[in-house]
Amino acid sequence: MATTATPEIQPGIHRDEEPDSRTDLEPGYRVICWNDPVNLMDYVTHVFQVVFGWQRQKAEVHMLQLHNQGKSVLTRESMEKAEFYVHQLQKYSLHATMERD
Amino acid sequence: MKLIRTRREKLVFEISLPERRLLFEVLKLHPLISATHYRLSKTARSAKHDENQRLLEESLAAQRQENRKNVRAMLNEAGRFQAAASGFQLTLSGPEIEWLLQVLNDVRVGSWIALGAPDPEQGKKTTFDEKTVPHFRAMELAGAFETVFLDALSGHAPG
Repeated sequence: MATTATPEIQPGIHRDEEPDSRTDLEPGYRVICWNDPVNLMDYVTHVFQVVFGWQRQKAEVHMLQLHNQGKSVLTRESMEKAEFYVHQLQKYSLHATMERD
Repeated sequence: MKLIRTRREKLVFEISLPERRLLFEVLKLHPLISATHYRLSKTARSAKHDENQRLLEESLAAQRQENRKNVRAMLNEAGRFQAAASGFQLTLSGPEIEWLLQVLNDVRVGSWIALGAPDPEQGKKTTFDEKTVPHFRAMELAGAFETVFLDALSGHAPG
């Protein structure tokens, strides 16, 4: 049985000629909170809720991860947004940094 | 100190005279943590990172100055603490409690740093002596007031 060749580019589908590149706009930065044992557990939970707009349950999961494992990766963001979140967390005197993936 | 009611999205606390004195004592310590204490990253090393680090420090310093201004205004504001039978009534909005929490945790963490960042679970202890006791006192007082405000925000008035 004869077959028809599949066109390399389907009609209506645009092929991006530019190669993918990692830029500061990509979510290539992890926002990490590190455990300082002085911080109250309820305080950390509250700050996560305020800064990220999370429900209490999600904030508690990250707080417990921080407490038990010494750190918690809170989100992955672009450089600019990661800087924003680190600043917000540090305003509350939480030990937060941003690290490249 | 305890939450006694909420009124038009504001929280009203009952605070005794000795508690108010302790709250003032703690708030006057702010700021304790240097703006250069925190790092933007543990690993990044570049000119761009250094510039971003500088901007972060400037921003934190400005924010601490703003909080300090808020503290001064609160301590000097006539009528902020309304006389009541058991001491005073202190009325705070949600945003006011947020900056108060920032101030209190600056004092708590700053006192802990001054104590050498003790961590008993890791065997890193500190001693009680005339130099360290004021830091312990500030750390524990700040934590106690944080707990009152956090309980109030979560809808559980402490007894």
